[in-house]
Amino acid sequence: MKDGTLESPEIDSKRPWLLLVPSASLYVFTFAVPLIVLVAASFEKTTGGVTVSSFSTDNYQSFFADGVALRAVLHTLYLSFAIATCCLLFGYPVAMTMRRSGGRMRLLLLFFVVSPLLTSVIVRNVAWILVLGREGLINVAWRGLGLTTEPLRLMYNDLGVVIGVVHVYLAFVVLPVFASLMAIDPAVEESAASLGATRVRVFWHVTLPLSMPGVIAGFTLVFVLCVGLYLTPVVMGGNFVVTISMIIGDLVRTQFDMGRASAFAVMVLLIVAGLLWLSRQFGQRYGVGT
Amino acid sequence: MTGAQNREDARGWVTGSVAVVTLAFLLLPQIILLVESFTADSYLAFPPTRYGLRWYAFILSDDDWLDALRRSLLVAAIVTPVTLLLGLMAAYALDRGPPRGRRTIFTLLIAPMILPHVVLGLAQFQVVFWSHMQDTVTAYVLAHVTIALPYAIITIGASLQVFDRRLEEAAQSLGAAPWRAAFHVMLPVIRPGLVAATIFSFITSFDEFIITYFLSTRRVTVPIQIFNSLSFQLDPSIAAISGLTLMLTIGLTGFLMAGGQIASGGRILR
Repeated sequence: MKDGTLESPEIDSKRPWLLLVPSASLYVFTFAVPLIVLVAASFEKTTGGVTVSSFSTDNYQSFFADGVALRAVLHTLYLSFAIATCCLLFGYPVAMTMRRSGGRMRLLLLFFVVSPLLTSVIVRNVAWILVLGREGLINVAWRGLGLTTEPLRLMYNDLGVVIGVVHVYLAFVVLPVFASLMAIDPAVEESAASLGATRVRVFWHVTLPLSMPGVIAGFTLVFVLCVGLYLTPVVMGGNFVVTISMIIGDLVRTQFDMGRASAFAVMVLLIVAGLLWLSRQFGQRYGVGT
Repeated sequence: MTGAQNREDARGWVTGSVAVVTLAFLLLPQIILLVESFTADSYLAFPPTRYGLRWYAFILSDDDWLDALRRSLLVAAIVTPVTLLLGLMAAYALDRGPPRGRRTIFTLLIAPMILPHVVLGLAQFQVVFWSHMQDTVTAYVLAHVTIALPYAIITIGASLQVFDRRLEEAAQSLGAAPWRAAFHVMLPVIRPGLVAATIFSFITSFDEFIITYFLSTRRVTVPIQIFNSLSFQLDPSIAAISGLTLMLTIGLTGFLMAGGQIASGGRILR
Protein backbone atom coordinates (compact mmCIF):
# COMPACT_ATOMS: atom_id res chain seq x y z
CA MET A 1 0.00 0.00 0.00
CA LYS A 2 2.53 2.53 1.14
CA ASP A 3 5.29 1.01 -0.99
CA GLY A 4 3.16 1.99 -3.95
CA THR A 5 3.91 3.97 -7.05
CA LEU A 6 4.82 7.24 -5.39
CA GLU A 7 7.80 5.65 -3.67
CA SER A 8 10.54 8.25 -3.55
CA PRO A 9 14.16 7.33 -4.35
CA GLU A 10 15.51 8.30 -0.89
CA ILE A 11 13.36 5.58 0.71
CA ASP A 12 16.41 3.38 1.08
CA SER A 13 18.36 6.11 2.85
CA LYS A 14 19.48 5.21 6.35
CA ARG A 15 18.86 8.78 7.54
CA PRO A 16 15.62 7.99 9.45
CA TRP A 17 17.67 5.68 11.64
CA LEU A 18 19.18 8.76 13.27
CA LEU A 19 15.88 8.99 15.12
CA LEU A 20 16.80 5.76 16.90
CA VAL A 21 19.71 7.43 18.69
CA PRO A 22 17.76 8.53 21.81
CA SER A 23 16.16 5.11 22.34
CA ALA A 24 19.43 3.33 21.64
CA SER A 25 21.39 5.48 24.09
CA LEU A 26 18.76 4.93 26.76
CA TYR A 27 18.96 1.17 26.25
CA VAL A 28 22.74 1.26 26.54
CA PHE A 29 22.46 2.61 30.09
CA THR A 30 19.31 0.88 31.26
CA PHE A 31 19.48 -2.41 29.41
CA ALA A 32 22.81 -3.37 27.80
CA VAL A 33 25.24 -2.23 30.51
CA PRO A 34 23.10 -3.60 33.38
CA LEU A 35 22.86 -6.98 31.65
CA ILE A 36 26.61 -7.10 31.12
CA VAL A 37 27.13 -6.20 34.77
CA LEU A 38 24.65 -8.92 35.71
CA VAL A 39 26.49 -11.60 33.76
CA ALA A 40 29.85 -10.43 35.14
CA ALA A 41 28.51 -10.47 38.69
CA SER A 42 27.16 -13.98 38.23
CA PHE A 43 30.72 -15.26 37.87
CA GLU A 44 32.04 -13.32 40.83
CA LYS A 45 32.75 -15.12 44.04
CA THR A 46 32.46 -13.04 47.18
CA THR A 47 32.83 -13.86 50.83
CA GLY A 48 31.59 -11.31 53.32
CA GLY A 49 31.32 -8.62 50.67
CA VAL A 50 34.90 -9.06 49.43
CA THR A 51 35.49 -10.36 45.92
CA VAL A 52 37.58 -13.52 46.16
CA SER A 53 37.60 -14.48 42.53
CA SER A 54 36.32 -12.69 39.46
CA PHE A 55 35.78 -15.88 37.55
CA SER A 56 34.21 -18.77 39.34
CA THR A 57 31.24 -20.98 38.58
CA ASP A 58 30.38 -21.40 42.26
CA ASN A 59 27.18 -19.38 41.96
CA TYR A 60 25.95 -21.58 39.14
CA GLN A 61 26.92 -24.72 41.03
CA SER A 62 24.86 -23.58 44.00
CA PHE A 63 21.88 -23.29 41.68
CA PHE A 64 21.98 -27.03 41.07
CA ALA A 65 23.47 -28.08 44.39
CA ASP A 66 21.15 -26.90 47.14
CA GLY A 67 17.92 -28.04 45.51
CA VAL A 68 15.97 -25.00 46.74
CA ALA A 69 16.51 -23.00 43.56
CA LEU A 70 15.92 -25.98 41.32
CA ARG A 71 12.69 -26.86 43.13
CA ALA A 72 11.56 -23.22 42.83
CA VAL A 73 12.26 -23.29 39.08
CA LEU A 74 10.27 -26.49 38.63
CA HIS A 75 7.39 -25.08 40.66
CA THR A 76 7.51 -21.85 38.64
CA LEU A 77 7.34 -23.82 35.39
CA TYR A 78 4.46 -25.91 36.75
CA LEU A 79 2.55 -22.76 37.73
CA SER A 80 3.32 -21.14 34.37
CA PHE A 81 1.99 -24.19 32.52
CA ALA A 82 -1.18 -24.31 34.66
CA ILE A 83 -1.79 -20.59 34.18
CA ALA A 84 -1.18 -20.62 30.42
CA THR A 85 -3.48 -23.65 30.03
CA CYS A 86 -6.27 -22.02 32.05
CA CYS A 87 -5.89 -18.81 30.04
CA LEU A 88 -6.34 -20.84 26.87
CA LEU A 89 -9.33 -22.85 28.15
CA PHE A 90 -11.21 -19.76 29.31
CA GLY A 91 -9.84 -17.30 26.77
CA TYR A 92 -10.70 -19.26 23.62
CA PRO A 93 -14.49 -19.20 24.18
CA VAL A 94 -14.25 -15.47 24.92
CA ALA A 95 -12.34 -14.88 21.67
CA MET A 96 -14.96 -16.95 19.78
CA THR A 97 -17.79 -14.97 21.35
CA MET A 98 -16.02 -11.73 20.39
CA ARG A 99 -15.70 -12.93 16.80
CA ARG A 100 -19.42 -13.69 16.64
CA SER A 101 -20.65 -10.42 18.15
CA GLY A 102 -21.26 -7.11 16.45
CA GLY A 103 -19.12 -3.98 16.61
CA ARG A 104 -20.32 -2.35 19.83
CA MET A 105 -20.66 -5.62 21.74
CA ARG A 106 -17.19 -6.62 20.58
CA LEU A 107 -15.75 -3.35 21.87
CA LEU A 108 -17.45 -3.89 25.23
CA LEU A 109 -16.08 -7.43 25.50
CA LEU A 110 -12.65 -6.14 24.56
CA PHE A 111 -12.87 -3.58 27.35
CA PHE A 112 -13.80 -6.33 29.84
CA VAL A 113 -10.84 -8.42 28.76
CA VAL A 114 -8.22 -5.67 28.96
CA SER A 115 -9.66 -4.00 32.08
CA PRO A 116 -7.46 -6.03 34.50
CA LEU A 117 -4.43 -4.85 32.48
CA LEU A 118 -5.39 -1.30 33.36
CA THR A 119 -5.34 -2.19 37.04
CA SER A 120 -2.15 -2.31 39.05
CA VAL A 121 -0.88 -5.78 40.07
CA ILE A 122 -0.94 -4.94 43.74
CA VAL A 123 -4.43 -3.43 43.49
CA ARG A 124 -5.67 -6.56 41.73
CA ASN A 125 -4.14 -8.70 44.45
CA VAL A 126 -5.80 -6.64 47.18
CA ALA A 127 -9.09 -7.02 45.29
CA TRP A 128 -8.67 -10.80 45.14
CA ILE A 129 -7.94 -10.99 48.87
CA LEU A 130 -11.32 -9.30 49.38
CA VAL A 131 -12.96 -11.97 47.22
CA LEU A 132 -11.05 -15.14 48.10
CA GLY A 133 -9.73 -14.47 51.60
CA ARG A 134 -11.01 -16.02 54.84
CA GLU A 135 -13.36 -13.07 55.35
CA GLY A 136 -13.78 -12.50 51.63
CA LEU A 137 -16.94 -12.41 49.55
CA ILE A 138 -17.00 -16.10 48.63
CA ASN A 139 -16.38 -17.38 52.14
CA VAL A 140 -18.97 -15.01 53.63
CA ALA A 141 -21.53 -16.16 51.05
CA TRP A 142 -20.56 -19.79 51.63
CA ARG A 143 -21.11 -19.43 55.36
CA GLY A 144 -24.35 -17.52 54.78
CA LEU A 145 -25.70 -20.47 52.84
CA GLY A 146 -24.88 -22.60 55.86
CA LEU A 147 -22.97 -25.04 53.68
CA THR A 148 -19.99 -25.28 55.99
CA THR A 149 -18.39 -23.69 59.00
CA GLU A 150 -14.89 -24.40 57.74
CA PRO A 151 -13.67 -21.56 55.46
CA LEU A 152 -12.68 -22.58 51.94
CA ARG A 153 -8.97 -22.34 51.26
CA LEU A 154 -9.06 -20.34 48.05
CA MET A 155 -5.77 -18.55 48.49
CA TYR A 156 -2.40 -18.92 50.17
CA ASN A 157 -1.88 -21.88 47.85
CA ASP A 158 -1.29 -22.54 44.14
CA LEU A 159 -4.99 -22.05 43.38
CA GLY A 160 -4.94 -18.45 44.62
CA VAL A 161 -1.88 -17.66 42.51
CA VAL A 162 -3.39 -19.26 39.40
CA ILE A 163 -6.68 -17.34 39.83
CA GLY A 164 -4.88 -14.06 40.43
CA VAL A 165 -2.61 -14.40 37.41
CA VAL A 166 -5.15 -15.86 34.95
CA HIS A 167 -7.30 -12.82 35.73
CA VAL A 168 -4.82 -10.46 34.10
CA TYR A 169 -3.01 -12.63 31.53
CA LEU A 170 -6.25 -13.86 29.98
CA ALA A 171 -6.04 -10.80 27.73
CA PHE A 172 -2.72 -11.98 26.31
CA VAL A 173 -4.42 -15.14 25.03
CA VAL A 174 -7.73 -13.60 23.98
CA LEU A 175 -6.15 -10.87 21.84
CA PRO A 176 -3.92 -13.05 19.59
CA VAL A 177 -6.53 -15.84 19.36
CA PHE A 178 -9.16 -13.26 18.40
CA ALA A 179 -6.83 -11.85 15.74
CA SER A 180 -6.26 -15.36 14.34
CA LEU A 181 -9.98 -16.14 14.34
CA MET A 182 -10.75 -12.89 12.53
CA ALA A 183 -8.24 -13.81 9.84
CA ILE A 184 -10.16 -17.02 9.02
CA ASP A 185 -12.43 -16.67 6.02
CA PRO A 186 -15.90 -17.83 7.22
CA ALA A 187 -16.39 -19.34 3.75
CA VAL A 188 -13.84 -22.04 4.60
CA GLU A 189 -15.88 -23.14 7.61
CA GLU A 190 -19.13 -22.85 5.69
CA SER A 191 -17.87 -25.04 2.89
CA ALA A 192 -16.74 -27.67 5.41
CA ALA A 193 -20.20 -27.55 6.97
CA SER A 194 -21.95 -27.71 3.60
CA LEU A 195 -19.93 -30.83 2.80
CA GLY A 196 -21.58 -32.44 5.84
CA ALA A 197 -19.17 -31.79 8.69
CA THR A 198 -20.82 -31.23 12.07
CA ARG A 199 -19.97 -28.06 13.96
CA VAL A 200 -17.74 -29.98 16.34
CA ARG A 201 -15.84 -31.43 13.38
CA VAL A 202 -15.60 -28.05 11.70
CA PHE A 203 -14.15 -26.64 14.91
CA TRP A 204 -11.57 -29.40 15.42
CA HIS A 205 -10.49 -29.77 11.81
CA VAL A 206 -10.86 -26.26 10.42
CA THR A 207 -11.24 -23.46 12.98
CA LEU A 208 -8.82 -24.68 15.64
CA PRO A 209 -5.91 -25.54 13.29
CA LEU A 210 -6.33 -22.21 11.48
CA SER A 211 -6.24 -20.33 14.79
CA MET A 212 -3.10 -22.12 15.98
CA PRO A 213 -0.78 -19.15 15.31
CA GLY A 214 -2.79 -17.11 17.82
CA VAL A 215 -2.98 -20.00 20.27
CA ILE A 216 0.79 -20.55 20.17
CA ALA A 217 1.55 -16.82 20.41
CA GLY A 218 -0.78 -16.33 23.38
CA PHE A 219 0.29 -19.47 25.21
CA THR A 220 3.98 -18.61 24.78
CA LEU A 221 3.55 -15.02 25.89
CA VAL A 222 1.71 -16.03 29.07
CA PHE A 223 4.14 -18.84 29.80
CA VAL A 224 7.18 -16.58 29.40
CA LEU A 225 5.64 -13.78 31.47
CA CYS A 226 4.86 -16.28 34.25
CA VAL A 227 8.48 -17.35 34.56
CA GLY A 228 9.10 -13.94 36.11
CA LEU A 229 6.16 -14.10 38.55
CA TYR A 230 6.98 -12.33 41.77
CA LEU A 231 4.32 -10.19 43.39
CA THR A 232 1.21 -12.34 43.03
CA PRO A 233 2.85 -15.46 44.54
CA VAL A 234 4.11 -13.34 47.45
CA VAL A 235 0.73 -11.76 48.18
CA MET A 236 -1.69 -14.50 47.15
CA GLY A 237 0.49 -17.51 47.76
CA GLY A 238 1.54 -16.53 51.24
CA ASN A 239 4.66 -18.41 52.17
CA PHE A 240 3.33 -21.56 50.58
CA VAL A 241 4.25 -20.85 46.99
CA VAL A 242 7.89 -20.16 46.12
CA THR A 243 8.92 -19.03 42.65
CA ILE A 244 12.46 -18.52 41.37
CA SER A 245 11.89 -14.75 41.24
CA MET A 246 11.03 -14.78 44.95
CA ILE A 247 14.32 -16.54 45.65
CA ILE A 248 16.19 -13.93 43.61
CA GLY A 249 14.34 -11.12 45.38
CA ASP A 250 15.22 -12.60 48.75
CA LEU A 251 18.90 -12.95 47.80
CA VAL A 252 19.00 -9.26 46.85
CA ARG A 253 16.84 -7.66 49.50
CA THR A 254 17.72 -9.65 52.61
CA GLN A 255 20.90 -11.63 51.98
CA PHE A 256 22.60 -9.13 49.67
CA ASP A 257 24.19 -12.02 47.77
CA MET A 258 24.51 -10.37 44.37
CA GLY A 259 26.63 -13.13 42.87
CA ARG A 260 24.13 -15.90 43.44
CA ALA A 261 21.15 -13.65 42.63
CA SER A 262 22.80 -12.74 39.31
CA ALA A 263 23.60 -16.35 38.46
CA PHE A 264 20.00 -17.37 39.17
CA ALA A 265 18.78 -14.46 37.04
CA VAL A 266 20.98 -15.62 34.15
CA MET A 267 19.46 -19.10 34.53
CA VAL A 268 15.99 -17.53 34.29
CA LEU A 269 17.08 -15.79 31.08
CA LEU A 270 18.30 -19.09 29.64
CA ILE A 271 14.97 -20.72 30.51
CA VAL A 272 13.07 -17.90 28.79
CA ALA A 273 15.30 -18.25 25.72
CA GLY A 274 14.68 -22.01 25.71
CA LEU A 275 10.91 -21.52 25.92
CA LEU A 276 10.95 -19.04 23.04
CA TRP A 277 12.98 -21.49 20.97
CA LEU A 278 10.51 -24.31 21.73
CA SER A 279 7.58 -22.10 20.77
CA ARG A 280 9.28 -21.28 17.46
CA GLN A 281 9.65 -24.97 16.70
CA PHE A 282 5.94 -25.46 17.35
CA GLY A 283 5.03 -22.38 15.37
CA GLN A 284 6.91 -23.54 12.29
CA ARG A 285 4.78 -26.66 12.22
CA TYR A 286 1.72 -24.48 11.74
CA GLY A 287 3.41 -22.27 9.21
CA VAL A 288 3.97 -19.33 11.53
CA GLY A 289 6.66 -17.36 9.76
CA THR A 290 8.38 -15.51 12.57
CA MET B 1 -32.61 -31.92 11.50
CA THR B 2 -34.11 -30.33 14.59
CA GLY B 3 -31.99 -32.60 16.76
CA ALA B 4 -28.83 -31.36 15.08
CA GLN B 5 -30.11 -27.83 15.39
CA ASN B 6 -30.68 -28.32 19.12
CA ARG B 7 -27.23 -29.73 19.59
CA GLU B 8 -25.76 -26.76 17.76
CA ASP B 9 -27.72 -24.37 19.94
CA ALA B 10 -26.51 -26.22 23.03
CA ARG B 11 -22.92 -25.91 21.86
CA GLY B 12 -23.25 -22.20 21.19
CA TRP B 13 -24.87 -21.91 24.59
CA VAL B 14 -21.91 -23.65 26.29
CA THR B 15 -19.38 -21.34 24.60
CA GLY B 16 -21.54 -18.36 25.47
CA SER B 17 -21.88 -19.25 29.13
CA VAL B 18 -18.15 -19.97 29.55
CA ALA B 19 -17.60 -16.51 28.06
CA VAL B 20 -20.13 -14.86 30.39
CA VAL B 21 -18.66 -16.53 33.50
CA THR B 22 -15.16 -15.55 32.39
CA LEU B 23 -16.18 -11.95 31.87
CA ALA B 24 -17.83 -11.80 35.30
CA PHE B 25 -14.62 -13.22 36.73
CA LEU B 26 -12.68 -10.42 35.03
CA LEU B 27 -14.72 -7.60 36.54
CA LEU B 28 -15.78 -9.00 39.92
CA PRO B 29 -12.63 -8.22 41.98
CA GLN B 30 -12.42 -4.61 40.82
CA ILE B 31 -16.09 -4.03 41.64
CA ILE B 32 -15.76 -5.61 45.10
CA LEU B 33 -12.67 -3.50 45.72
CA LEU B 34 -14.48 -0.28 44.79
CA VAL B 35 -17.41 -1.14 47.06
CA GLU B 36 -15.09 -2.02 49.95
CA SER B 37 -13.01 1.13 49.50
CA PHE B 38 -16.04 3.22 50.50
CA THR B 39 -16.48 1.44 53.80
CA ALA B 40 -16.78 3.55 56.93
CA ASP B 41 -16.04 0.58 59.20
CA SER B 42 -12.78 0.26 61.06
CA TYR B 43 -12.04 -3.12 59.49
CA LEU B 44 -12.57 -4.78 56.12
CA ALA B 45 -15.48 -7.17 55.89
CA PHE B 46 -17.98 -7.90 53.18
CA PRO B 47 -20.43 -6.27 52.88
CA PRO B 48 -19.52 -3.06 54.73
CA THR B 49 -22.05 -2.05 57.37
CA ARG B 50 -21.68 1.68 56.72
CA TYR B 51 -20.44 3.62 53.70
CA GLY B 52 -18.55 6.88 53.53
CA LEU B 53 -15.39 8.63 52.43
CA ARG B 54 -13.68 8.03 55.78
CA TRP B 55 -10.68 6.11 54.43
CA TYR B 56 -10.24 8.29 51.36
CA ALA B 57 -10.05 11.25 53.74
CA PHE B 58 -7.54 9.32 55.79
CA ILE B 59 -5.10 8.51 52.97
CA LEU B 60 -5.34 12.05 51.61
CA SER B 61 -4.26 13.44 54.96
CA ASP B 62 -1.66 10.80 55.81
CA ASP B 63 1.93 11.90 55.09
CA ASP B 64 3.22 8.47 54.03
CA TRP B 65 0.44 7.84 51.50
CA LEU B 66 0.56 11.40 50.17
CA ASP B 67 4.32 11.22 49.77
CA ALA B 68 4.09 7.96 47.82
CA LEU B 69 1.19 9.26 45.73
CA ARG B 70 3.05 12.47 44.83
CA ARG B 71 6.17 10.51 43.86
CA SER B 72 4.21 8.03 41.72
CA LEU B 73 2.40 10.82 39.90
CA LEU B 74 5.61 12.78 39.35
CA VAL B 75 7.43 9.76 37.91
CA ALA B 76 4.50 8.81 35.66
CA ALA B 77 4.13 12.43 34.52
CA ILE B 78 7.75 12.42 33.33
CA VAL B 79 7.76 8.87 31.98
CA THR B 80 4.66 9.28 29.79
CA PRO B 81 5.77 12.16 27.50
CA VAL B 82 9.37 10.87 27.34
CA THR B 83 8.21 7.39 26.32
CA LEU B 84 5.76 8.84 23.81
CA LEU B 85 8.46 10.97 22.17
CA LEU B 86 11.09 8.21 22.08
CA GLY B 87 8.49 5.70 20.91
CA LEU B 88 7.28 7.96 18.10
CA MET B 89 10.85 8.64 16.94
CA ALA B 90 11.78 4.96 17.01
CA ALA B 91 8.58 3.76 15.34
CA TYR B 92 8.97 6.45 12.64
CA ALA B 93 12.59 5.45 12.07
CA LEU B 94 11.62 1.81 11.65
CA ASP B 95 8.80 2.75 9.30
CA ARG B 96 10.88 5.02 7.08
CA GLY B 97 14.28 3.40 7.31
CA PRO B 98 15.53 0.81 4.80
CA PRO B 99 13.81 -2.60 5.12
CA ARG B 100 17.16 -4.30 5.58
CA GLY B 101 17.93 -4.71 9.28
CA ARG B 102 14.49 -3.49 10.27
CA ARG B 103 13.53 -6.83 11.80
CA THR B 104 16.72 -7.05 13.90
CA ILE B 105 16.41 -3.47 15.17
CA PHE B 106 12.75 -4.04 16.04
CA THR B 107 13.59 -7.20 18.00
CA LEU B 108 16.31 -5.35 19.92
CA LEU B 109 13.96 -2.46 20.68
CA ILE B 110 11.24 -4.68 22.13
CA ALA B 111 13.67 -6.97 23.98
CA PRO B 112 12.96 -5.44 27.44
CA MET B 113 9.40 -6.72 27.07
CA ILE B 114 10.39 -10.39 27.09
CA LEU B 115 12.95 -9.99 29.86
CA PRO B 116 11.45 -10.90 33.24
CA HIS B 117 11.27 -7.72 35.31
CA VAL B 118 13.04 -9.39 38.22
CA VAL B 119 16.06 -9.91 35.99
CA LEU B 120 15.97 -6.37 34.64
CA GLY B 121 15.45 -4.98 38.14
CA LEU B 122 18.38 -6.91 39.55
CA ALA B 123 20.61 -5.84 36.64
CA GLN B 124 19.64 -2.18 36.99
CA PHE B 125 19.97 -2.34 40.76
CA GLN B 126 23.69 -3.11 40.55
CA VAL B 127 24.35 -0.17 38.22
CA VAL B 128 22.14 2.20 40.23
CA PHE B 129 23.73 1.07 43.48
CA TRP B 130 27.25 1.77 42.22
CA SER B 131 26.31 5.16 40.83
CA HIS B 132 24.57 6.10 44.11
CA MET B 133 21.27 6.68 42.37
CA GLN B 134 19.13 4.59 44.70
CA ASP B 135 15.93 6.30 45.81
CA THR B 136 16.11 8.91 43.03
CA VAL B 137 13.27 9.86 40.72
CA THR B 138 15.78 9.75 37.83
CA ALA B 139 16.48 6.07 38.43
CA TYR B 140 12.77 5.26 38.58
CA VAL B 141 12.06 7.26 35.41
CA LEU B 142 14.84 5.57 33.43
CA ALA B 143 13.66 2.13 34.54
CA HIS B 144 10.03 2.82 33.74
CA VAL B 145 10.76 4.30 30.31
CA THR B 146 12.78 1.18 29.47
CA ILE B 147 9.87 -1.16 30.13
CA ALA B 148 7.18 1.13 28.68
CA LEU B 149 9.03 1.93 25.43
CA PRO B 150 8.47 -1.45 23.70
CA TYR B 151 4.69 -1.10 24.06
CA ALA B 152 4.84 2.45 22.71
CA ILE B 153 6.91 1.36 19.70
CA ILE B 154 4.52 -1.51 18.94
CA THR B 155 1.30 0.52 19.19
CA ILE B 156 2.61 3.59 17.37
CA GLY B 157 4.29 1.36 14.78
CA ALA B 158 1.00 -0.44 14.14
CA SER B 159 -0.82 2.81 13.41
CA LEU B 160 2.04 4.06 11.24
CA GLN B 161 1.71 0.90 9.17
CA VAL B 162 -1.88 1.65 8.23
CA PHE B 163 -1.10 5.31 7.57
CA ASP B 164 -1.18 5.97 3.84
CA ARG B 165 2.08 7.77 3.17
CA ARG B 166 0.70 9.29 -0.03
CA LEU B 167 -1.34 11.67 2.15
CA GLU B 168 1.87 13.15 3.45
CA GLU B 169 3.38 13.31 -0.03
CA ALA B 170 0.25 15.04 -1.28
CA ALA B 171 0.60 17.65 1.46
CA GLN B 172 4.24 18.14 0.49
CA SER B 173 3.44 18.46 -3.18
CA LEU B 174 0.94 21.14 -2.23
CA GLY B 175 3.81 23.07 -0.68
CA ALA B 176 3.92 21.97 2.95
CA ALA B 177 7.36 21.64 4.47
CA PRO B 178 8.22 18.01 5.39
CA TRP B 179 7.94 18.63 9.17
CA ARG B 180 4.64 20.45 8.61
CA ALA B 181 3.28 17.57 6.57
CA ALA B 182 4.35 15.11 9.24
CA PHE B 183 2.90 17.20 12.05
CA HIS B 184 -0.43 18.16 10.49
CA VAL B 185 -1.15 15.10 8.34
CA MET B 186 0.53 12.12 9.94
CA LEU B 187 0.06 12.88 13.65
CA PRO B 188 -3.75 13.25 13.54
CA VAL B 189 -4.08 10.00 11.57
CA ILE B 190 -1.94 7.94 13.95
CA ARG B 191 -3.67 9.43 16.98
CA PRO B 192 -5.24 6.12 18.16
CA GLY B 193 -1.74 4.62 18.39
CA LEU B 194 -0.49 7.63 20.32
CA VAL B 195 -3.45 7.46 22.71
CA ALA B 196 -2.88 3.75 23.36
CA ALA B 197 0.83 4.40 23.94
CA THR B 198 0.02 7.20 26.40
CA ILE B 199 -2.34 5.00 28.39
CA PHE B 200 0.11 2.12 28.49
CA SER B 201 3.09 4.28 29.43
CA PHE B 202 1.27 5.99 32.26
CA ILE B 203 -0.12 2.76 33.66
CA THR B 204 3.16 0.88 33.26
CA SER B 205 4.92 3.56 35.27
CA PHE B 206 2.22 4.12 37.85
CA ASP B 207 1.84 0.38 38.51
CA GLU B 208 5.43 -0.79 38.23
CA PHE B 209 6.45 -2.76 41.28
CA ILE B 210 9.45 -5.06 41.19
CA ILE B 211 12.11 -2.87 39.56
CA THR B 212 11.22 0.15 41.70
CA TYR B 213 11.20 -2.17 44.71
CA PHE B 214 14.83 -3.08 43.98
CA LEU B 215 15.87 0.51 43.27
CA SER B 216 14.29 2.01 46.39
CA THR B 217 14.93 1.84 50.09
CA ARG B 218 12.89 4.62 51.71
CA ARG B 219 11.47 6.81 48.95
CA VAL B 220 8.76 4.52 47.70
CA THR B 221 5.98 4.67 45.14
CA VAL B 222 2.32 3.80 45.74
CA PRO B 223 2.51 0.07 44.79
CA ILE B 224 5.44 -0.45 47.16
CA GLN B 225 3.74 1.48 49.95
CA ILE B 226 0.68 -0.75 49.49
CA PHE B 227 2.90 -3.85 49.53
CA ASN B 228 4.70 -2.73 52.68
CA SER B 229 1.48 -2.05 54.55
CA LEU B 230 0.01 -5.36 53.37
CA SER B 231 2.64 -7.19 55.39
CA PHE B 232 1.16 -5.70 58.58
CA GLN B 233 -2.51 -6.14 58.03
CA LEU B 234 -5.18 -5.59 55.41
CA ASP B 235 -6.87 -2.46 56.74
CA PRO B 236 -9.40 -0.25 54.93
CA SER B 237 -6.80 2.40 54.03
CA ILE B 238 -5.27 -0.14 51.61
CA ALA B 239 -8.66 -0.65 49.96
CA ALA B 240 -9.06 3.13 49.70
CA ILE B 241 -5.65 3.78 48.11
CA SER B 242 -6.21 0.81 45.78
CA GLY B 243 -9.64 2.18 44.89
CA LEU B 244 -8.12 5.59 44.24
CA THR B 245 -5.44 4.06 41.99
CA LEU B 246 -8.09 2.07 40.13
CA MET B 247 -10.31 5.10 39.54
CA LEU B 248 -7.32 7.19 38.48
CA THR B 249 -6.13 4.72 35.82
CA ILE B 250 -9.62 3.90 34.54
CA GLY B 251 -10.58 7.58 34.54
CA LEU B 252 -7.46 8.51 32.58
CA THR B 253 -8.03 5.69 30.11
CA GLY B 254 -11.65 6.68 29.58
CA PHE B 255 -10.72 10.33 29.20
CA LEU B 256 -7.99 9.64 26.65
CA MET B 257 -10.07 7.13 24.71
CA ALA B 258 -13.05 9.47 24.56
CA GLY B 259 -10.74 12.32 23.49
CA GLY B 260 -9.04 10.19 20.85
CA GLN B 261 -12.39 9.02 19.56
CA ILE B 262 -13.85 12.47 19.21
CA ALA B 263 -10.66 13.67 17.54
CA SER B 264 -10.66 10.85 15.02
CA GLY B 265 -14.37 11.32 14.33
CA GLY B 266 -15.46 8.16 16.12
CA ARG B 267 -13.34 6.00 13.86
CA ILE B 268 -12.39 3.64 16.68
CA LEU B 269 -15.98 2.53 17.11
CA ARG B 270 -16.48 1.76 13.47
